[in-house]
Amino acid sequence: MKSPSATLSLPGFRLRLRPIRMAEVGFLVFLAVVMGLPLLFLLSGSFNLAAPGKPAIYGFGNWQRAFTDPGTLSALWMSFLLSVVRLIPAMILSVMFAWLIARTDMPGGRFIESACWIAYFVPDFPLVLAWILLLDPNFGFLNSLAKSLPFVEGPIFNPYGFWGIVWVHTSTGGIWFKVMLLVPVFRRLGATLEEAARVAGANTTAMLWRITLPVLSPMILAVAVLSFIRGLQSFNTELLLGTPVGIYVYSTKIYDYLQREPRAYGEATALGSVFLFVLAILLFFYWRYLSGNKKFTVVTGQGYSTLRVKLGRWRYAALAGCLIYVAVMMLLPLSFLVIGSFMRRYGFFNIASPFTLNHWYNLLADPIFLVALKNSLIIASVTAIGGILLYSALAYLLVSRRTITAPVLESLCWVPHVLPGILLSLGVLWLFLATPLRFFLYGTVWGIAFALILADSPVTTQAFKAGLLQLGADLEESARVSGASWAYAYRRILLPLLAPIAAAVGLMNFGSALTSISTPVLLYSHQSRPLAILLLEYSFTGELERAAALGLLITLIIGSMMLIARRLGLQLSRSD
Amino acid sequence: MAQTVLEFRAVVKRFQSVNAVDGISFSLQAGEIFTLLGPSGCGKTTTLRLVAGLEEPDAGEILIDGKTVAAPERGLCLPPEKRHLGMVFQSYAIWPHLTVFENIAFPLRVRRETGEVVRRRVEQALEVVGLGGFAERGATQLSGGQQQRVALARALVYEPAILLLDEPLSNLDAKLREQMRVEIRALQRKLGLTVLYVTHDQAEAMTLSDRIAVVERGRFEQVGTPEEIYENPATPFVAEFLGRMLSFEGTISRNHTGSWVEFSQGAGRSAPSSLSESLSHGTRVRVLTRPEDVEILGASELTANQLAATIEQVAYLGDRFEYHVRAAGVQFVLSAPKKQRFRPGDAVRLSLDSGRLHCRLL
Repeated sequence: MKSPSATLSLPGFRLRLRPIRMAEVGFLVFLAVVMGLPLLFLLSGSFNLAAPGKPAIYGFGNWQRAFTDPGTLSALWMSFLLSVVRLIPAMILSVMFAWLIARTDMPGGRFIESACWIAYFVPDFPLVLAWILLLDPNFGFLNSLAKSLPFVEGPIFNPYGFWGIVWVHTSTGGIWFKVMLLVPVFRRLGATLEEAARVAGANTTAMLWRITLPVLSPMILAVAVLSFIRGLQSFNTELLLGTPVGIYVYSTKIYDYLQREPRAYGEATALGSVFLFVLAILLFFYWRYLSGNKKFTVVTGQGYSTLRVKLGRWRYAALAGCLIYVAVMMLLPLSFLVIGSFMRRYGFFNIASPFTLNHWYNLLADPIFLVALKNSLIIASVTAIGGILLYSALAYLLVSRRTITAPVLESLCWVPHVLPGILLSLGVLWLFLATPLRFFLYGTVWGIAFALILADSPVTTQAFKAGLLQLGADLEESARVSGASWAYAYRRILLPLLAPIAAAVGLMNFGSALTSISTPVLLYSHQSRPLAILLLEYSFTGELERAAALGLLITLIIGSMMLIARRLGLQLSRSD
Repeated sequence: MAQTVLEFRAVVKRFQSVNAVDGISFSLQAGEIFTLLGPSGCGKTTTLRLVAGLEEPDAGEILIDGKTVAAPERGLCLPPEKRHLGMVFQSYAIWPHLTVFENIAFPLRVRRETGEVVRRRVEQALEVVGLGGFAERGATQLSGGQQQRVALARALVYEPAILLLDEPLSNLDAKLREQMRVEIRALQRKLGLTVLYVTHDQAEAMTLSDRIAVVERGRFEQVGTPEEIYENPATPFVAEFLGRMLSFEGTISRNHTGSWVEFSQGAGRSAPSSLSESLSHGTRVRVLTRPEDVEILGASELTANQLAATIEQVAYLGDRFEYHVRAAGVQFVLSAPKKQRFRPGDAVRLSLDSGRLHCRLL
């Protein structure tokens, strides 16, 4: 037997725990500053009548002005109305999709599931553009098509307005993510519950209505509420389709306040604070509902169901329905994005040589585009790498059981999950303007990356946490007992095992950094303008063909990254 | 005199306000298998993790090979990698991204052994656990039993001061478990290993251990050889945990010839050899015995150390009968060989072994 070496006399103990404690405290302070301060500034800023960075003058003027402006209340109301109205068809459709994929013998279920997965990652802004190309009253392809029919006078479709927004949302945010959340829920339903219903004499319909859906209703409702809250965060669609006809939701209203000259910081911040307040109430009830509901336990646990409902001849009809939905909602707009980017003047199919590569040439040769591309790549890379480093460490801390403040850390890192991008942006803007951070973060790519890293915190941390939990502490501990120092064990054991997760999460964050508009929209300057903002500007100035080209380019980049991520085995873990 | 490899001195480990390990002291001699046996949550795994350095004690002192590795009062706690131990985890903790060879080589590589030494010793270790030729397999391509052997090889490859085994057999099927039990014992003998073994399975503990500590609520209820703790359980918990005990209530009677127990309902009398002389006449006591020490006899005159009983139900189990018996107001199950045959309703006698009766005050 070898005996333990002379290192025993080293005072190794104090050095061992301290790094962990220091990391914990460091994270706590950091998260409190970067997550908490923007919120605090947002709230206090709403009572500050002076512009950010100027000596503060406190008063209720902002609130007064915000609420005497009839536009404010109607914007809040419109946010809720839109979110509720578009939730109804989306929930019905996604429950149907999920049921067909998970519980029936519909052929091609896996394919439809993958299609939803890919569709989820198609950035929404290019899709909104595509729907404009299809539905615009003046040049929209579907309207031109309709006009050629007899008895049709004038345009029959119009994307600008309430129902246009609802429709386009069904295509962009719509059902894809909900299907991805619900399919595992349906799969996990214990087979015995349904089998018992069958044995008791229920046919498919009775089983579905009296057993399956009631048992799953808590989960379905949870998904619905989550979608509703996330729906309130929507910005892009409302900006492109609502603003031109005077329909504002609170996020576009905030944007509107800040586009005025001089910027109406006070009103924007007051509106943001009101919304935060409403959101807090909603979240409280959502949380109460989730934590108070013990029915959830029924659903998990028991093995996978082998019982699949036989649809008979209807199975092909069901598949056809799913395929048509995917085609109309995803393939149709994307193909018109392609067509639009190659047309000399979009909508004019009858002119001599209607197709051209000019828009692509112009786009790729545009120095502004090149700067934006460089900015976007820097922002996205910094976001991805920064997120990986920061949140893998945070997840390790949370999982390691050694932190006493884990609940606080955990809730801090959830803040951005519910905070709409525009509010996060506004809060970060206040943080930059009211502190010395303005000198090196305000208006720079680093500032934008900073905000985006914050926005990534919940999903990234959860992904690493899930990965670490799945690995279990044993793998690391056995390395330690085998004689490896923490650093060695981390490098040789944890890092290689976490690499796929890190790569996948990194790619995902890279992608969302490329497409995010609502987060950088208040933080960019002309030097730091990213691609997504350039796309926004092209669409505002009516350069639809060039916008289509740029939108397509972004979509292609995202698409290829997501396919790589999927190869790497990215499982979108249910993060809530 | 065997050398003391591991020593615990009044070690305490708290989780929140619960004392998971509540002032445990013991020592482990070189070349023995010492087993911590107890139900889940009793603190046995925590004790093992304290040895490994994966948990820090809140009080007390831990020594390995006579050197202090943890003493919270002095702010000392050596990290796991400095303790020179080998450990097999319940989950085996085989690193999935490394081959069998690299898994086992890991502790050697950490210690910066040369490539030649690594190769030779990994091969030796693989031979020892019977996995020769598996070196280049991916770790995830192995069966549960093979993973277990890899974990064992990895723990042994650098000749640790103590081998820590945390329920290493609990994930194996019954047959393999029995086989590995024998192999571990043989290996321990061959290599002269000092083993600290954690299990909740009493059969495993009985067959493997030189000494067993029965753990409950962070304390050692009893420490001794398997025979000692089975035959002479120090506390009711130990007795219960190590197997079923029958218990009959009775009253102490004494006269000038000695003292004995009168069982309730006039079921009979018995004089346990362990009966304390200090118990006064009329003291209510409980008499405990193991079912396998009770014999069923046909009806006849009761003599000393016999109980009157009735058969209530009979179950035929193929190799034996199982009788539901009622005696002294207690109902219980006894097994009996096939050569005897009783029917429900039969009056019988239960013969007790006075040397194996335990008396406790009620």
